[in-house]
Amino acid sequence: MNENQGDNADDERTERAAPDQRAGVEPITDGGTDRDVVEIPKTIELPRLLDFYELQNAETTEIVEFYDNLRDGQLTTTECRECGELHFPPRIVCPECRSEDLEYVDLPHEGELFAFSTVRAGAPMGMEDEVPFVTGIVDLGDVQLSGRIDDAEYDDLEIGDPVELKIVEIDGPVDHERVFYRFEPQE
Amino acid sequence: MTRNVGIVGGGHTKWGVREASYKDLIQEAGKATFEDVPDVTPEDIEGLFVGSVQPERFAFQTHVAPMVAELLGVDVDSMIARTELACASGQAALRYAWLAIAAGQIDTALVLGVEKMNLPREYTPEAQTSMANVMDREFDGVNGFNAPPYFAMIAQRHMHEYDTTREQLAQVAAKNKTHAANNAFAHFQKEVSVDDVYDSFELSPPLCLYDCSGVTDGAAGLILMSEEKAREVTDEAAWITGSGQTCLGSNSINNLPSMSAWPQATKAAEQAYEQAGIDDPVAELDVAEVHDCFSISEIVEYEDLGWVEKGEGGKFMEEGRSELDGDIAVNPRGGLLGCGHPLGATGVSQALEVFNQFRGTVEPERQVPDPETGLIHNLSGSASVHSVMTLARGRL
Repeated sequence: MNENQGDNADDERTERAAPDQRAGVEPITDGGTDRDVVEIPKTIELPRLLDFYELQNAETTEIVEFYDNLRDGQLTTTECRECGELHFPPRIVCPECRSEDLEYVDLPHEGELFAFSTVRAGAPMGMEDEVPFVTGIVDLGDVQLSGRIDDAEYDDLEIGDPVELKIVEIDGPVDHERVFYRFEPQE
Repeated sequence: MTRNVGIVGGGHTKWGVREASYKDLIQEAGKATFEDVPDVTPEDIEGLFVGSVQPERFAFQTHVAPMVAELLGVDVDSMIARTELACASGQAALRYAWLAIAAGQIDTALVLGVEKMNLPREYTPEAQTSMANVMDREFDGVNGFNAPPYFAMIAQRHMHEYDTTREQLAQVAAKNKTHAANNAFAHFQKEVSVDDVYDSFELSPPLCLYDCSGVTDGAAGLILMSEEKAREVTDEAAWITGSGQTCLGSNSINNLPSMSAWPQATKAAEQAYEQAGIDDPVAELDVAEVHDCFSISEIVEYEDLGWVEKGEGGKFMEEGRSELDGDIAVNPRGGLLGCGHPLGATGVSQALEVFNQFRGTVEPERQVPDPETGLIHNLSGSASVHSVMTLARGRL
């Protein structure tokens, strides 16, 4: 090992130990001080599909009506005009009868807490600064969906508690307006 | 008409937070696997099946099956693929290798499961994003549904509906982690008591840190052969007697059949039991490696694998029926709770454990007395898929 290692511990390029001498070809080394430097970004911006929210516009999804309705203040989903099946998440093809003749119908904005927990550590990207947060499953009658439970402490909640929808704006790396739904305890 | 297929050997890396790359883990597991069966060489391998879930995210590498072939010197002349089925990817690889041999397409297969999960600590949120993406990202992952809060809700519902107790959950964690204390390759080699579980950080209530499997690097390999070929190289095998798998056309929260029961597990188990001729699993199974990604999972599995009535899983634990000397020794390896859960490697490691229990090569402290039959089980993702395989000791 290089005896000098540690003298310049703050600079990784100069602290690296010289390779052990081997027989054969003379190593191309000058201590690492005179090499061409290849610059790569020190940080990489959050890739657009790692922020968890779909792009929500007509260029990127065929369920844009779901997101348009949500922007307008209404939680909706698709129902099949052929067989009557109600879907959630919304679809473009009915999984029951393969019909594409689907219409968007309103879902209730009030429901009951079916299950919940809290995330105290190990949250995904974009959520790590929000811990602890409560997340749960809300029963809206015909649909049972997951959702963040805002303005609530885990210890104050019980299964069956009434909750209501809220819509949040997403401020992220894309230009167009994005929204998503959450829930909060009813007053 | 299918042919008899046996596991004839396998090998393991040390599991844990490894100072090793994805490729290093593959080489370690491959070497250990081939050393276990000296009469099988990489030249004998006709099919290669690699279980790995997120190499693109954790190791920035795709098309990993040919990488395994190159690293291990395997010339594949019939079948090569990576299987991705989230937490059951290793069992999926094993299942396809079994099918290929049973169908007469090949005689010898290598199954290798590998996952490099630990990124430098500052990238934990990135790794957790990848885990949340195992759920429906658009409608469930977005709500912070990675595994701990999701399985916490399963625990909450199971406790609510069936009066399962917090102590019963802790008993599962203490049992499995204590088995792992005597397992040389396990990530967590420390005996754990029920009180230790309570005292660990309450990560996603009702679950504490010790109710959760770890973030683990590791790999494991298996060699499978037709009975005819197996007889040429060994006098001991683990016959695959049944293999079932079910998904009920559902994956996202709204469409799952239940938050406290897994009928997919029941169906997959029934398929495997029927193939294996098992009428009474509690009486006939000696050892089982089941998917204890969280302590609650094992309790639900006691029920939905058909061992006890629905709601009686907690009692099965409490009464000691899943201990080493119980009705079925469950997770003598240490389970995912004790060994850690390098996603793609877990199913492979479970099957190797059952074979090692059959041939008596595990540490004596966790050896099940004279097992003749075994089972492995994995769920995956939102528990939307369940995979069950039964095994029997073979003396050739």
